[in-house]
Amino acid sequence: MENHFKDSTFLARWISGELTPEELNNFKNSKDYQALNKINEASKLLETPQYNSDALFTKLQTKINSKQQDKAPTVVKLMPTWVYGVAASILLAFGLFYFLNTNKHFETTFSQQLTVVLPDNSKVQLNANSQLDFKSRNWENNRILSLEGEAFFDVEKGASFKVLTQQGVVEVLGTEFNVISRDDYFEVQCLEGKVRVESLIANKEAILLPGKAIRILNNTTEEWDFILTDEPNWLLGESTFMNTPIAQVLLALENQYKVHFDTSNIDLSKRFTGGFTHKNLNLALKTVFLPMEIAYSANDKNQIILIDSKNKN
Amino acid sequence: MTEETKSVCEQKNYESLFNTHSKSLRNFVYYKCGDIQQAEDIVQDAFIKLWDNCAKVIFTKAKSFLFTVARNLFLNEVAHKKIVLQHRVYLPEDKTIETPEFLLEEQQFMKKLKDAIANLPEKQREVFLLSRIDKKKYSEISEITGISVKAVEKRMSQALSVLREQLGNI
Repeated sequence: MENHFKDSTFLARWISGELTPEELNNFKNSKDYQALNKINEASKLLETPQYNSDALFTKLQTKINSKQQDKAPTVVKLMPTWVYGVAASILLAFGLFYFLNTNKHFETTFSQQLTVVLPDNSKVQLNANSQLDFKSRNWENNRILSLEGEAFFDVEKGASFKVLTQQGVVEVLGTEFNVISRDDYFEVQCLEGKVRVESLIANKEAILLPGKAIRILNNTTEEWDFILTDEPNWLLGESTFMNTPIAQVLLALENQYKVHFDTSNIDLSKRFTGGFTHKNLNLALKTVFLPMEIAYSANDKNQIILIDSKNKN
Repeated sequence: MTEETKSVCEQKNYESLFNTHSKSLRNFVYYKCGDIQQAEDIVQDAFIKLWDNCAKVIFTKAKSFLFTVARNLFLNEVAHKKIVLQHRVYLPEDKTIETPEFLLEEQQFMKKLKDAIANLPEKQREVFLLSRIDKKKYSEISEITGISVKAVEKRMSQALSVLREQLGNI
C-alpha cells in the first residue's frame, strides 16, 4: 500500500475518472494498481438476482387496491354534516332571541310582592296580583311601562316617565307615586315631586302634588289628601284606605290573602276608611268588617260569606 | 405539465416513478440485507407509503422520499443475510482462446471477490455496489444513502482497500 491511501478519497476519484493525468500515471506505475484494476473490472461484471419490475408492480397494485377496499367501509359518519349546521343555527337563534328580546314582563300572584329595578335605577314595587311590562331597549329615552294592578314607583330624574294603564296614563319627571288600576277602578297617590294624571275613561287631566291622591270610579273623580310617608303603607305590610268603596277593599283583601268573598248580601257602594294588616287574616277581617258592621262566616273553600248586620236587624 | 406540477396521485405518474426507481431501490435494500424477498417487500411498502402520501409528496421529491422511507423501514428489519451475487462471463478481447486453466482461475477469482464483497461492512458494500452494479454517480449515491458526497467517496475508497487486502496479490 502506498501514499495514495493517505488520501481518503483517492481510490474513489480513480473509479470516477477524476484523477489528474499525472496522478493516474503515478498510480498505474504503483504495485497496487494491477490488483485494484482487476477488482474494479471484475466488479463491473457482477449482477443482482433477476428483477421482474412488472410482476412487482402488479403485486403493489393489488395491495393498494385491497388496502383501499379495507379502508372504505370503516368511514362511517354518525350524523350527516348538515346536522351540525342545523344545530348551530338553532343555538344561534336562541342566543339572539335571548339577547335581543328586550320585552320584560313581571308578574305577582296572590300575597306576593316584587321589587323591579329598571335600567335607569328607578324602582317599581309590585303589590299582589299585578303585572308589569316594559321594553329595556333604549330605556333612558323611552321610559314607558304598562301596569295592571298596583305598584309603587320611585322614579329617578330623567326624560318623562310614563305608566300606561287601561284606565289612564300617569306621567312624571322623577318622583314617587302609587298607582292602582284594577278593572274600572283607577287611583294615583303622589308621594314626592309632581304627577300628571290623565284618565282615558273620564277624559280628565289632573296634576298631583305630594300628599294628594286621585281616584276615578264610574266616571266620577275624587281628590283627597293623605298623610305623607316615605313609602306606601302596603310596602310596610299594611293596606290603608281613605273613603274607598268597600268593593276595592274587598279586592285588596282577596289579592292579599287569596280568599273569595260572597258579596251578594251587602251594599258594595259603602265607603271604608282605615287599613288592614297583611300578616293575619282573622285580624284583617276584624279590622275591616267590625267598623263596617258586616258579619262574616268562612266555609272550608276559603270562601267568606258576608252579611250586612244592619239589614239583618 | 412540468415536473413540479405533476401529481404523484395520478396513476401514470406513479407508474413512471415505479419504473424509474423501483429497481435501484430494491438493489439498495438488497445490498444492505442480502435478502431479495425482504428487499422487494420493503420496495412495496415504500411505494404504498408514497401512494398514501401522494397528495403531500412533490413529484420531484418522490425519489428521495422513497429512499428515505426504505432506509427507515430497513432500520426496523433486523434480519441480515449474506448477499449472493451473480456475474456475467468476462471475455477479454485480447485473449480469443480460453485455456481451461484460465477459466478456472477466473472462476475462482470471481468467487473470492463475491465473498469479499459479502463480508464488507454494510455501509461500504452499499456504496461500492451502487457504483459498480447500478452505475450510480457519487452524487446519486449520496442522495440514496442520505450521506454527503465526500462520505460516499471515503466509503468507496475504503471498500476498494479492504477488497484489495482481502484478495491479496493477484
